[in-house]
Amino acid sequence: MSTLVQTWHIACYEWFDALRSRRALVVLLLYLAAAVCNMHWSINLLHRLESELATALKLPASEQAGVVSTALWKSKPFQRMMKQMTRNDLVLRDITGKHPIELIYAWFAFFYTPLLVVLVASNRIAEEIGSGSVRYVFFRTSRASWSIGKFIGQMFMIGLALLLSGTSAYIVAKIRLAGSGTPDLFFNMVQWSLRAWVYSIPYLGLAMGLSHLTRSSSKATVMGILAITACFVLSILIRHFTTDTGWRAYLPHLGQLLPDAHKMLLWRNAPAPLIAGSATLITLGFCYLFTGYAFFRTRDV
Amino acid sequence: MDYAIESTELVKRYGARRALDGLTLAVPRYAVLGLIGPNGAGKTTWMMSIAGLLHLHSGTINLLGCGPFDPALHSGRITLLPQDSELPLESRPIDLLTHYGLLQRLTRREAKRAATEMLREVHLGDRLTATVRSLSHGMRKRVMIAQCFIGSPELVLLDEPLSGLDPREAAHMRTFLTRRRGRQTLVISSHNLNDIEAMCDRVAFIEKGRTVRNTTLEEVVGKNSTLVYRVTREPADYAALTAAVSDATFSFNAETSDLTCRYDSRRFTAEAINRILLPALLAQCDVSTITRGDNLENAYLNQVIGNG
Repeated sequence: MSTLVQTWHIACYEWFDALRSRRALVVLLLYLAAAVCNMHWSINLLHRLESELATALKLPASEQAGVVSTALWKSKPFQRMMKQMTRNDLVLRDITGKHPIELIYAWFAFFYTPLLVVLVASNRIAEEIGSGSVRYVFFRTSRASWSIGKFIGQMFMIGLALLLSGTSAYIVAKIRLAGSGTPDLFFNMVQWSLRAWVYSIPYLGLAMGLSHLTRSSSKATVMGILAITACFVLSILIRHFTTDTGWRAYLPHLGQLLPDAHKMLLWRNAPAPLIAGSATLITLGFCYLFTGYAFFRTRDV
Repeated sequence: MDYAIESTELVKRYGARRALDGLTLAVPRYAVLGLIGPNGAGKTTWMMSIAGLLHLHSGTINLLGCGPFDPALHSGRITLLPQDSELPLESRPIDLLTHYGLLQRLTRREAKRAATEMLREVHLGDRLTATVRSLSHGMRKRVMIAQCFIGSPELVLLDEPLSGLDPREAAHMRTFLTRRRGRQTLVISSHNLNDIEAMCDRVAFIEKGRTVRNTTLEEVVGKNSTLVYRVTREPADYAALTAAVSDATFSFNAETSDLTCRYDSRRFTAEAINRILLPALLAQCDVSTITRGDNLENAYLNQVIGNG
């Protein structure tokens, strides 16, 4: 019990300490700014498309964006295009019921969260090993409690960043997009933030697991960036080279070790795939973390 | 005897080099032990191994009667001031020490109170909420010392606690540490032998990863077997002195003008030596002071380097 309490104390302190660190604050602000700008530019694009459509149809152009988007969203040609993009009928069925602005935000959050994770968290463990500040902790608590506590603290940090970015994106949409200021949309944006947060956990585990391997803060960041890039590249290669027969038919099984293979489960509405996807991604995150920890626990500090 | 630390035959290698080469050292409970040795002798390695920060190749450690270091058993009972280790720079001393107190299983209220008290004790009461980054080197060192005493641990390991402190703060810290005698077991590693002499009641000499000597300070400096005479000039006739006290050995330090007389404490008392020796000595020179026991530095140099 006391180990759990110690882990909790470390997690809370890590969160507050991360918030105080200049680097995390700068990255957090940049991420918020990117979320706001992404929403702003997406709405501008939407408005321009709508205006062009209205001109072509010789209809009066609307002052606000979003007037015809919802109708467009439900049209057959658009859905065919989405099917091509998602390559998953179940996902397509689930997302066509969503407000377009939700999907713009969701795309942003899922695409950029791994980068946010690497920039915020990849050096947290290496930095403390390098500076020797871990030496003040390890005679008070176990290394496992410390590593897990730091990981959970960073999960809080990323969660906060995503919730704030979701809220900011909602505020931009409410100001700029017709009929989008509903509480339902806000609730859905928060939900997408949470889904992106779950998706960030394996990347966080990967970045922090690697951070156990070095005493250099900059080396840990570079390793994090390389690892996450490798994840993306491997996912693409596995998709590209998979065939129905021969050894290549087993490639998707290897792909299960990568977060990308489970991403689409988080885009579903039904609780079963959502829970399964979340459980798998969280487990992957802890597995990556423990792999780094296994090396670290035998190391001198 | 009840021991706070019993370490036996410890071996720690870095590549081919043996930092600890079968080091055996026991520290009695409530002792204030000074750890003395040249650079690279293994003092820091020993301390870090005791606190569980280094993995040993062989040897056994028994801490506070509960076996080797285990955070579940020893958290809050043992603390360490490591050498060359930074505190988290963005943290505030009060938050950091409260956090450490919480990890030692104090309640939040107890941890905060202990943190505030300790920071005031080290003269940082006005810098509780400053970031570590904004503190000077000496101030950071005081925060590091303060963290060792949160929650009154039974055993405190201090690696060079007074290095980097200004003379006033160093004197304050010496008093602060000396006040802990009899309440906690302290192990202090330092190259400043005057500090060790002022604070410790036991000393251990470590050389090349082994313990050369581990005994009381009194015995090392020879409180009962050494007399130091500050004389106006070196005696010309040592034979006269030796004839006065048979079995005694004499050495003269020209820099300090001290004549050291080492005698067999089983045969003579200090008073008896003075009674016999002083007439023979005063016939050759004047004596300004007589001190019982050598200073630690001389005793160390004499015993370790003299023998080496």
